[in-house]
Amino acid sequence: MKELTTDHISQQFNNELELLRQHFLTMGGVVENQVQDAVQALLDANGSLAEDVKNQDSTVNQLDGLIDEECRRILAKRQPAASDLRMVLSISKAVSELERIGDEAKKIANLTLNLINEGESPRGYVEINRIGQMVSRMIHDSLDAYARLDIEAAIKVAKQDRTVDQEYNTAMRSLVTYMMEDPRSISRVINVIWVLRSLERIGDHARHTCQHLIFMVKGVDVRHVNVNDLSAEMKK
Amino acid sequence: MSDVKTHSIDISAMQRSQQALRIEDETVCLSVNDLHLYYGEKEALKGVNMIIPEKKVTAFIGPSGCGKSTLLRCFNRMNDLVDGCRITGELNLRDENIYAKGTDVAELRRRVGMVFQKPNPFPKSIYENVAYGLRIQGINKKRLLDETVEWALRSAALWDEVKDRLHESALGMSGGQQQRLVIARTVAVKPEVLLLDEPASALDPISTLKIEELIHELKNEFTIAIVTHNMQQAARVSDYTAFMYMGDLIEFGDTNTLFTNPSKQQTEDYITGRYG
Repeated sequence: MKELTTDHISQQFNNELELLRQHFLTMGGVVENQVQDAVQALLDANGSLAEDVKNQDSTVNQLDGLIDEECRRILAKRQPAASDLRMVLSISKAVSELERIGDEAKKIANLTLNLINEGESPRGYVEINRIGQMVSRMIHDSLDAYARLDIEAAIKVAKQDRTVDQEYNTAMRSLVTYMMEDPRSISRVINVIWVLRSLERIGDHARHTCQHLIFMVKGVDVRHVNVNDLSAEMKK
Repeated sequence: MSDVKTHSIDISAMQRSQQALRIEDETVCLSVNDLHLYYGEKEALKGVNMIIPEKKVTAFIGPSGCGKSTLLRCFNRMNDLVDGCRITGELNLRDENIYAKGTDVAELRRRVGMVFQKPNPFPKSIYENVAYGLRIQGINKKRLLDETVEWALRSAALWDEVKDRLHESALGMSGGQQQRLVIARTVAVKPEVLLLDEPASALDPISTLKIEELIHELKNEFTIAIVTHNMQQAARVSDYTAFMYMGDLIEFGDTNTLFTNPSKQQTEDYITGRYG
């Protein structure tokens, strides 16, 4: 595939697409940091870092609005076709995924503040650390895939989400067992469960982002295709 | 008895409306087999193979000089009038080769009507413009003429605007009205195919939309082939699109697919504005 944002006769149009792409990647960077910070704040019981994560959400929301507006303008003014059209559409959708990742990070920050107030949970931090690192990696790799239009990398990220889901289920089972053994811990462990749930959702959003990328590059809608069939679907 | 109301939604019907058209499912109206056309030494069409499907709109897009108008003109042998123009290959209207010896070209042009970029009404009344083709065919009965003129003007979405001034000069009409009048004149003789060569490029945006709307209506009765420089127009009005470049047919297929996910890089470059 050719470079997406170059070679148009209209240099203006090149610039608009390039700006859109840059803003999208910038927003991705903000969101990626936000998730890492949210997990770190929880592990270190760092209240001020958690507040930071919450504050970053307004930046993410502003970028969401800005990029959406850019997409609208390009659609209205340029009537993009083919790969340009797919790029605008898929960025417009992927931006929503990023925005939701930001929301989940904010939720984690709120839960962290709860945990700091209530006293730390006796269980679950190992799992949060592990799953947290996995999903941060997924966000990073999916943005990388966007920057390089790398379908193989996108498929890899989508597959990674299954591991996250498995880890999440395992953690959930052990935490439920723990709560049964020690009911006094329930309210604190529940906070941990919510955090894990948010991380699991972040994994889903990262996978969706990659599916939008595959649509952008290949023009096939793989949102409802089993990850194992992705590579086969690409070769059609 | 359970009284649960089930909301049944027919998703397959919704999907069908979005499905890509398949040229194999169409009835063939015109078929082009290995058509080469030379203007003197210059080869303007380099072996074109395609079909024009019945009662569908087929759009031709491509840069100037790519051969799209030339191909369109082949469909009713307008190129016969060009000096030094030579054609090889086959072009069939239904099953008749229109370049066969003994083809009645006047009759062919009745069956395959053409509308040009600039409206060219005759310096006669609106009524006489539309009735012209019928009179040439020897139809002079007033009632039949009246009926056909009204039908043609209605088909061209012009009747309501001109019914009170049918006998005024056609030259007093606006450009958009004149173009629809020319379309009415063409459809009055009940052709099978309408060839439109840039029918809206000399018109203002609203008149353009009226012509596009008209094309949509007309395809219920006629097979339509349109050449346009306006890609968005091709995307809006056509069912199938053919992209031509330097005398070659590069890609031909369902318009929705061609404009969202073309299979050839050249098509992609042209429709996204990267050509050149």
